[in-house]
Amino acid sequence: MSMRLLKFPDERETRLLFVKWLVALLIPVLAFTLWDGESILNNTLLTLFTGFTVEGVTTIGFVLSTVFVLIFYAVTFALAGYFLAADSGRRSMIELWIDVVIFTLVPMLLVILTTSLVVGLALCIVVWPIYFWVRKRVVAALHYAPPDPLDEVMELSPAQQDALKDRGRSGGFWFGTAFSLIWLVIDLVYLFSGGLPTPVLIFVILRTILFPVFGLLLGQLGGELALRRTLGALQKKADAKDKNAPAVDLESEIKSLSPTRAREEVKELVPNDQPMRSRGAQLFYLALLAAFVLLYPALDPLLFSFGTVGRISGFADAGYYVILALGLNIVVGFAGLLDLGYVAFFAIGAYTWALIGSGQFTVLTGLQVNPQVWPWLFWPVLILSACVAAFWGVLLGIPTLRLRGDYLAIVTLGFGEIIPIIFLQMDKYTNGTNGVVGIFSPHFPGINWTTFTPVPYYYLILALIVLLIFINLRLRDSRLGRAWIAIREDEIAAASSGINLANTKLFAFGAGAFFSGIAGAYHAAKVGNVTPDAFSYNDSIIYLAMVVIGGLGSIPGVIVGALVVYAVNQLILAQLDTMAADPSSVLHIVKVLAPTFTFDSIRNLIFGTILVTVMLFRPEGLIPSARRRRELHHVDQGQDVEVGSLDVPPGTPGFESEIRVE
Amino acid sequence: MSIEHTSSGSPATGVVTDALLDLSVVTKQFGGLVAVKDVDLQIRPQEIVSVIGPNGAGKTTVFNLITGIYRPTFGDIRLEGKTLVGLSPDQIVKRGIARTFQNIRLFNNMTVLENVLVGQHTQLKATILGSLFKPPRVVREEAHARERALELLGFFGTALLERQEEYVINLSYADRRRVEIARALAANPKVLLLDEPTAGMNDTETLEAVKYIRRLRDELGLTILLIEHKLAVTMGMSDRIAVLDYGQKIAEGLPEDIRRNPKVIAAYLGTASSEETSEEATKSVE
Amino acid sequence: MSLVLQLIVYGIATGAIYALIALGYTMVYGIIELINFAHGDIFMIGSMVSIAIFNLLGINSDSHPTGWFLAVAMILSCVGAMLICAVLGVVIERIAYRPLRNAPRLAPLISAIGVSLILEDVGKLWKGNTYIPFPQIFPNITYKAGAISFSSINVFVLVVALLLMVALNWLITRTRIGRAMRAVAQDRDAAALMGVNVNRIISTTFFIGAALAGAAGFIYGLQYGSTIFTLGFNLGLVAFTAAVLGGIGNIVGAMVGGILIGIIEALATLIPPTVLPHGGSAWSRAILFGILILILIFRPAGLLGQQTPEKV
Repeated sequence: MSMRLLKFPDERETRLLFVKWLVALLIPVLAFTLWDGESILNNTLLTLFTGFTVEGVTTIGFVLSTVFVLIFYAVTFALAGYFLAADSGRRSMIELWIDVVIFTLVPMLLVILTTSLVVGLALCIVVWPIYFWVRKRVVAALHYAPPDPLDEVMELSPAQQDALKDRGRSGGFWFGTAFSLIWLVIDLVYLFSGGLPTPVLIFVILRTILFPVFGLLLGQLGGELALRRTLGALQKKADAKDKNAPAVDLESEIKSLSPTRAREEVKELVPNDQPMRSRGAQLFYLALLAAFVLLYPALDPLLFSFGTVGRISGFADAGYYVILALGLNIVVGFAGLLDLGYVAFFAIGAYTWALIGSGQFTVLTGLQVNPQVWPWLFWPVLILSACVAAFWGVLLGIPTLRLRGDYLAIVTLGFGEIIPIIFLQMDKYTNGTNGVVGIFSPHFPGINWTTFTPVPYYYLILALIVLLIFINLRLRDSRLGRAWIAIREDEIAAASSGINLANTKLFAFGAGAFFSGIAGAYHAAKVGNVTPDAFSYNDSIIYLAMVVIGGLGSIPGVIVGALVVYAVNQLILAQLDTMAADPSSVLHIVKVLAPTFTFDSIRNLIFGTILVTVMLFRPEGLIPSARRRRELHHVDQGQDVEVGSLDVPPGTPGFESEIRVE
Repeated sequence: MSIEHTSSGSPATGVVTDALLDLSVVTKQFGGLVAVKDVDLQIRPQEIVSVIGPNGAGKTTVFNLITGIYRPTFGDIRLEGKTLVGLSPDQIVKRGIARTFQNIRLFNNMTVLENVLVGQHTQLKATILGSLFKPPRVVREEAHARERALELLGFFGTALLERQEEYVINLSYADRRRVEIARALAANPKVLLLDEPTAGMNDTETLEAVKYIRRLRDELGLTILLIEHKLAVTMGMSDRIAVLDYGQKIAEGLPEDIRRNPKVIAAYLGTASSEETSEEATKSVE
Repeated sequence: MSLVLQLIVYGIATGAIYALIALGYTMVYGIIELINFAHGDIFMIGSMVSIAIFNLLGINSDSHPTGWFLAVAMILSCVGAMLICAVLGVVIERIAYRPLRNAPRLAPLISAIGVSLILEDVGKLWKGNTYIPFPQIFPNITYKAGAISFSSINVFVLVVALLLMVALNWLITRTRIGRAMRAVAQDRDAAALMGVNVNRIISTTFFIGAALAGAAGFIYGLQYGSTIFTLGFNLGLVAFTAAVLGGIGNIVGAMVGGILIGIIEALATLIPPTVLPHGGSAWSRAILFGILILILIFRPAGLLGQQTPEKV
């Protein structure tokens, strides 16, 4: 490794590129550092090396938080390398910097201002679309035509690739250097104005030396990851995968695609016009998100000074919404079966554990229940609940097999109403309106686990979510997943391609119900009691809203949709009410004007408005699957497609896609 | 446009035994309307048989009867001697019959490759558990399915291969037709039913289509039953032609004979002109 | 036996209200193939508007108006409810359904669900979340026919409902607009080619359907004496079942279905607790849904509908 690489580049273009990305990355990194990063690190050092303690935070908490901060920095260093290697350099600095501010600073600011993670992020979801809209207008007004991404599709020579790799390495180094120097200056100010404790001083020195080194190493990593996405690298991968099949030249393949499709593919490639939005960068973001989510219980007390337990409990609750969204995504998103009674299976799952894992079991069977041993049953019963729910999913799906979309919806709605009524009226078994109480929490060696300890539940739901995402992905990309999408598109064509409609639909119902059975059992354990009025049509609508608002058929979409809906449903309105009750807040005006008004009471109004607005303006949802976005916004028709009277596309009123098999 | 009639050495019309696909007295009634009446048709292996007739003659209904979308009110349909009546469409695909549709029913929001992969549904054995755990058997099966799909696309040249990741709705009409056929081929059928495969195509595209339809029989050994309106295409390509009118078969035989058959001409043009136009029709098709 | 007959009488009275609501469902479904989830809530708004009009006239739950004033008040309240609901229906169609006419089927359905939620909260905000009394101002005279008794209110309700249904039937079968509505329901494009202003006809359909729902709201309040913001959802589903039972898209079917469902609901209370825990009345919703499901499985076209074969 020659020292030449460490010299700041002297070609003007490359120099500008460096400035562009260094500034772009420094903005969020410095903001985060000044907000919380620095204090977390310093406090950890103090806790470890002096007797410093903070109330409500354990040493482990500090250590884990530090781990997160370090991961954050590491990811940024790697991203510096990645971006500098991947950027084609054609987009302007200002454009990028504005993007960075909007997507990193604004969320931080909103969270700080509202002192709530959820409300802050929710406001982002409002702010960002406005930004996109304004941006579109400005672009149109300036008659700015972004360069065609397809121009960049070309093979890179080995020399060019090496140049990119060097750029990445160098970029990481310079980023590390810039960052550590700026931080050093900040800390020097502290040193001269009040002094720094010794452990922190040592850290400052270590950091100033090590960050450039880490920058170098991680930047190299980032650069190499970028190079895995060049046309040449992808071609090699494709050739290896299809060695027995006729070879395809990726470059000409991409150039022969239609504009929208080509743009999708080009997002993956390096060099890239907007590497911040590229698929490679998304992996880094995911890594950071994963670290954040995993370490959140340790981070929360350090980000916000109070309310940790409540918040973590809230997130542990929100988790089951995510699972329900993932399950309904299979039924509605993949297979296209409009299920308005999904709550029924959730109820079945919940009651399964409720009836087994509580005193009600004694009522039902007469056998005594040992509270020390019984909670272990949660683990097998979790699977059992899912299977019971899946069984009922299939059973209740049978009557719907020959029905058209809207009728299917009504029948499922009917089942969604009947099942809770059964649970209510069969009170000999289910204890009727009073429901089942005293449901056991799971047992796990070494952990104190009750309804009041949210942290084990938090990790349990995370594990379940990861597992179910995995299942969702596997199903989607399988023979069965393709069959689901086929029957959603065109039942007759699907049957004529050999797909057994009944079985495929029943599998969808069963799989969807399986997921909600898991959510049900989890929910019963977490809340500790189960009553029939907890399950109603309203809930089914909420679940449907999650999937639709998030993006039908898109896994990240429905997860975000679940969180958004949960936030609106459970948290935001309550938060707004708390804020309105506080005389010092802006919202208090509302209370003055209409004393009996509560935000909570207009929950359905807000929901309904969101549903209608989303359907009118963004029916593909917040994070749509590529398929869906294309389906709902026919941007380009094919070159020679003659849409004659014979070609009635699916979705328009004239298209009969149901079979009447005799 | 002239299309050469290649003699494939198929036997002369007459009593046929060893039919691969056998329709006997097939009748379909919808309430008071008799859509198809007493249709007899035998198709031997590797034949190309066309079904022609004026609009509304019941040709697509016959296809729907064969593929199980409708159930015959009366009569029998047998493939390799075993009856198809009462089977659901997917079961019939498994038995070995695949089809395309008059107005191209592709899965619009799937890519070219995905459409053909769906066509392989009956050829793959992965179960729901297998898809979840992805044991080597399933991984191999998926890889093999992908290879086969690419092979099938390659049958039509490189154009579709290059556009394998394109959403089918963005393709040209002729290309969509090809994808639909590739999807049907993916089911490994013995008999291929093509419903107006050249509809909406110009002369060049039609010529291309005729060529690849012939290749389907010559290279892949398929038996082909097709509905076709372009008489020149039918005459040039078919071993035998059956003519339907008002749901009944009014003629069947070699293309030359059908061309001159007065009943056929009457069905298309009306009885008054049947004699005059029989010579004109003969001339214009040459 | 007389109990059965009595229940049937009650059932017919309730069923008439269901029929009026069902008409709105069936008309809208017939013309744009959309299950208007918001329709039941329009009915609920209608009942509240009626109360509001009464209040404006100075009549509240313990007033006892008589003579001309009573008649005028009733007419104003009923017609007022019908008009406001009709306008509401048209506005909803314009904003929430028309832009989605060519979208995949799921979109307008979800939009309808959204509108339903909005209307429910509007009702809740307007009149609170408990039962609101409806002025019981219609003279309540009990008639007896043998062992069966019924009240003048029942008669009034039935008469109003029948009049409206007859008027609707006349409109559909004998007027130009009715013919246009039937044409659009059968084949929208062909109707457009014949010069029918499809958008206007669809708006008219919503106007009429919602007006009927408004009237239903008025007579429901008279018969049952109270209303609440969740009324629309509950009764809406029942009315939809009635529409399906009679044959969705079929006007007479909706009327027949409504009455039938009313009778079935009344007779279900006879089921003793030995057969169903807590007796039939606690299960009435479940029973109704069960009926709906059975119809959709075994005879999806309903009693009076036609099986339309699919063209492949």
